[in-house]
Amino acid sequence: MRLRLEKRPSPSQFMLFATPLMAVALTMVIGGFVFTLIGFDGFGAVREIFFTPLMNPLKWQDLAVKATPLVIIAVGLSIGYRANVWNIGAEGQYVLGGLSATGIVLLTQDMSGPWILPLMAVAGIAGGMAWVAVPAWLRTRYKVNEILTTLMLTYVSVNLLNYLVFGPWKSPRAFGQPQTIAFSADQSLPYIIPGTIVQLGAPIAVIIALVAWFVMSRSLFGYQVRTVGAAPYAARHGGFSANQTIWVSLLVGGGLAGLAGMLEAAGPFGRMVPQFPTGYGFTAIIVAFLGRLNPIGILIAGIVLAITFVGGEVAQTTIAFPYPAVGIFQSMMLFFLLAGDVLVRYRVRIGNRASAGDSTSEASA
Amino acid sequence: MSVDLVIAIVITLIGASTPILIAALGELVVEKSGVLNLGVEGMMLCGAVVGFAAAYTTGNPWLGVGAGALAGMLASMIFAFLTLTLSSNQVATGLALTIFGAGFSALFGQPYTGKPLELFRSVFPPDLSMHPILKVIFGYSPLVYFSLIMVVAVWFFLQRTRAGLILRAVGESDISAHSIGYPVIGVRYMAVAFGGAMAGIAGACFPLLLTPQWVERLTSGRGWIALALVVFAAWKPGRLLIGAYLFGLIATMELYAKAAGGVFRVLPSELWASLPYLATIVVLVLFSLRARGSTGAPACLGKPFVPAN
Repeated sequence: MRLRLEKRPSPSQFMLFATPLMAVALTMVIGGFVFTLIGFDGFGAVREIFFTPLMNPLKWQDLAVKATPLVIIAVGLSIGYRANVWNIGAEGQYVLGGLSATGIVLLTQDMSGPWILPLMAVAGIAGGMAWVAVPAWLRTRYKVNEILTTLMLTYVSVNLLNYLVFGPWKSPRAFGQPQTIAFSADQSLPYIIPGTIVQLGAPIAVIIALVAWFVMSRSLFGYQVRTVGAAPYAARHGGFSANQTIWVSLLVGGGLAGLAGMLEAAGPFGRMVPQFPTGYGFTAIIVAFLGRLNPIGILIAGIVLAITFVGGEVAQTTIAFPYPAVGIFQSMMLFFLLAGDVLVRYRVRIGNRASAGDSTSEASA
Repeated sequence: MSVDLVIAIVITLIGASTPILIAALGELVVEKSGVLNLGVEGMMLCGAVVGFAAAYTTGNPWLGVGAGALAGMLASMIFAFLTLTLSSNQVATGLALTIFGAGFSALFGQPYTGKPLELFRSVFPPDLSMHPILKVIFGYSPLVYFSLIMVVAVWFFLQRTRAGLILRAVGESDISAHSIGYPVIGVRYMAVAFGGAMAGIAGACFPLLLTPQWVERLTSGRGWIALALVVFAAWKPGRLLIGAYLFGLIATMELYAKAAGGVFRVLPSELWASLPYLATIVVLVLFSLRARGSTGAPACLGKPFVPAN
């Protein structure tokens, strides 16, 4: 007896939506078992990580804060992934977005006015775009694989950040601490719900997801991206330029990661510090896949991943569950999702070739 | 420059190159079989933490290497099952493996933070390994000699053995290989397992060869650089050796530049730390400029194979 894969005539829409839910459920069950086996309170951890943040309304504001950068970055990445363009260096573009916004902060130190924040946002987007423009140019001009170049530039961006905050951008009043001056009120995001820590970034993330959904499903550009990714030869015949698609999808991804960096810098951080790269750019890859590269799905997946971050902190304080284990739960979700992909494209048959029920499909194959 | 300085440079650069060389040799075999495993960094992190734990608890660095190899291999089997048996997307699965490795090493490395480890001693007698001149040949960790032996072994396996021929056939044309009766999926499983073991050993090199203590994310992107080197070397083991040592030279350049003094002294250390990554990008560009037409990439690289029953 063995497993056999039988290609479906077209991908199963039901499985496309069911598999992310199955992936999360399987992560809880199998993750709980595995961590119990190696001596942790595995199911206690699952409870604290996946359910406590949802059950406790006080934690909802934390979810909004964590989900914001994840959703914004993942929406940008998903556009590239649909076109088979693999930008995995969103973390670097996020850092550049934060640094560009900080540059504006330093230039406008003694100024005030409502124009500063939009200018920071533009700078953040431009910073992310500029950082991804190098891989985009190398890919389109020299056919250099963007997976490696975007990632290499992430390491460079972290070095650039360290150089600036340990060097020229270090605040004179920081007593040797590697950090810039604190952003002023006009340089920081306003709080939108009184009494909470939810800032302007959260509604921006929702708007971006909705706009991206509209563009990707209703516009010619969305169709172009999907065609270039799914059927490059057909796209070329149809007059869609592969290079143009690469450029646009990378610039949108980099720009959104840059915007996320600006929103983090002007939001939760409030100044530039060496701890700024928190790994959102990498976690957003999981968010993009778990959301099925669909902006609305990404909105939900962003909240799911935010739950695990917030829940990880809860589990650390309540049951002393080590925080780095959250990364394992997160990657398990992606593993199970990718494993589930097989159900979207194939029917899984169990049994020998000769078994009775399969005879018709055998004949047609 | 004095002879002593040159010898010191050679010894540091070979040390810094060794993990990248070992990981890249493994990935070369994987890619020759037609599989693109982007999870090298993740497997290295798994190998590093398990290797450290084993060497620390037993006090025996050899067991550390063995445990690292085993950990890398087990991690690679997750990838193999998903991509080969369930034919999932290789790029996405490799990324998932890297994210997993980062979480795994952060979790299990936590208790070892700051704990010291004993480095490998040279296998040669002190007369040779500590000799001021001859140490440039005899003064290395066994892992360095292992990497050099593996360069020859991988070349020999791929070019001179029947099994190597089958592996290349599977990577160049999976359908033909399948139709003349070679087990495509089985061959790829073995290749991925080998790549995983090598990545695990490469990871174990960091605590056992370079910095004898546990530092989180100690591989700092070297797995990705190994992937780039395979492209640069046009899938040839000999060129991989040259590429890895060039890279080691760049990665350790700060030390000699600082010693040389002058204008180099004022350059920020962050710039030096960025050089390996920038050099990798430059190398990829140079390679693509040179490679008009064929790049030497296996024809089936990254393409899933589902046998039609």
